[in-house]
Amino acid sequence: MMADGLVIDPGPALLAGVLDGPGLAAHRRRAGELRRVTGEDVARAAEAAGLRGRGGAAFPFARKLRTVLDQPGRRPVVVVNLSEGEPLSAKDHALALVAPHLVLDGALSVARAIGARRTHVVLPGDRPAVRLSVLDALEQRDDTGSVRCHVASPRFVAGQEQAVLELVSGRENLPVTAWRPAAVSGVGGRPTLLSNAETWAQLGFLLQHGLDAYRRSGTVDEPGTTLLTVSAPGRPRHVREAEHGRAMGDVVPELGHPAGADLVLLGGFHGSWVPRDELARTPVSVEGLRSRGHALGAGVVQLLGVEECPVRRTTEIVRTLAGESAGRCGPCRLGLPALWAALEDLGAGRSDAAEVERLATLVTGRGACAHPDGTSRLVRSLLSVTPEEVAAHARGVCTLTDAMCPAP
Amino acid sequence: MTDQRLRVDWPSCTARGVCHELLPEMIDLDDWGYPVTSRDPVPPELVGFARTAVRLCPQLALRLVEVSGPGPRR
Ligand code: SF4
Ligand code: SF4
Repeated sequence: MMADGLVIDPGPALLAGVLDGPGLAAHRRRAGELRRVTGEDVARAAEAAGLRGRGGAAFPFARKLRTVLDQPGRRPVVVVNLSEGEPLSAKDHALALVAPHLVLDGALSVARAIGARRTHVVLPGDRPAVRLSVLDALEQRDDTGSVRCHVASPRFVAGQEQAVLELVSGRENLPVTAWRPAAVSGVGGRPTLLSNAETWAQLGFLLQHGLDAYRRSGTVDEPGTTLLTVSAPGRPRHVREAEHGRAMGDVVPELGHPAGADLVLLGGFHGSWVPRDELARTPVSVEGLRSRGHALGAGVVQLLGVEECPVRRTTEIVRTLAGESAGRCGPCRLGLPALWAALEDLGAGRSDAAEVERLATLVTGRGACAHPDGTSRLVRSLLSVTPEEVAAHARGVCTLTDAMCPAP
Repeated sequence: MTDQRLRVDWPSCTARGVCHELLPEMIDLDDWGYPVTSRDPVPPELVGFARTAVRLCPQLALRLVEVSGPGPRR
């Protein structure tokens, strides 16, 4: 189905109800009334399901939950991060449109289970349809007394964990240095369980439908599904629910299109370049991708047109990312524009890969948030996956476009 | 056993500070004068100098943090 410019395909679990609409009555018919569970029940179920966070870092959810449960004294806080700062990703966006109650079921039943004092819902500043759909869903429910909504600023780093915690704490929506994990000390110093919408929806499905239903998709080692946002030139973005273990090429048949470029952007602007054929053969799996040195990140698969040069595309993305630096941390504020300039020089045959590599390494790990790290990952993946093309650019030739890459 | 590592609060750091002067073994400066801290644990013989660097950072941007196992470079 088509919604807000996205094609959202029905899927086996989270997206099973796409065609029934987002209303509460239809949701309750599928998922039943909200189950009463304890924190320990949730931790055990998440462990048995192998559930990992879907914001990009793939951290085991049960570990985070147990850290929260282990903090004595203060009642915890739950945060639902719907801000989805990654511009190419639209999976949380799609969930908000077609399955908002699954997201809320996950968050609110866990909040009740752990005795959370508040549940904060963070909405994106630049996706108005998401805001409307979630506010509408909240109004239909009678269990939202502890919920508070916030709107993130429309910028890339506003969705980073620390920036979201700042927003929820009533401060500016920008990242600050985290000295302790949010699960130990987050909002107002309270233990805070922050996850993005897909993670909460996965929990909602797991708790409402049970472990057996959850395990019906995926593999023994990695049960369940994952949401992908697929974009290709000249087509609307698709959001798909992929079963773990299936070949990427089955779930994303676009990878087999003969007119596509050889490299695919996996994970988003903070992701990496992967050869198209290799990605098509790789199973959808955190471990499967990791063992080949890739990461699903935010679940983005972006295909390029055959005429599009990955060196130029990387340069454009880094220009965007340099502009998205919140400008607070010197090495990010100064380093990302320098990295962009080095890529421009490379593309114009004025410089070589060594300077690009040096700057990409220099910025890594040197900011309050992971923005420099993500930018560096993208650039370094370009250098390692297509050294010939990079070297050709350094000599002033683009072998893909048969000409010099046009300057922006 | 926990190790002591250096960490910078980047939004507070204003560059070209005393940290590199006081602890060049562990703190380099980048193209713009911002510190590049070593990822390694601070060796025992340098802990005293590291504490001084932390104390004298005018922005209170430098910290010694205790980490067990390999720590992130931040
Ligand atoms: S690392 Fe960059 S984007 Fe992140 S807070 Fe610092 S300046 Fe902003
Ligand atoms: S002394 Fe402090 S403010 Fe100055 S460069 Fe070092 S860490 Fe940054």
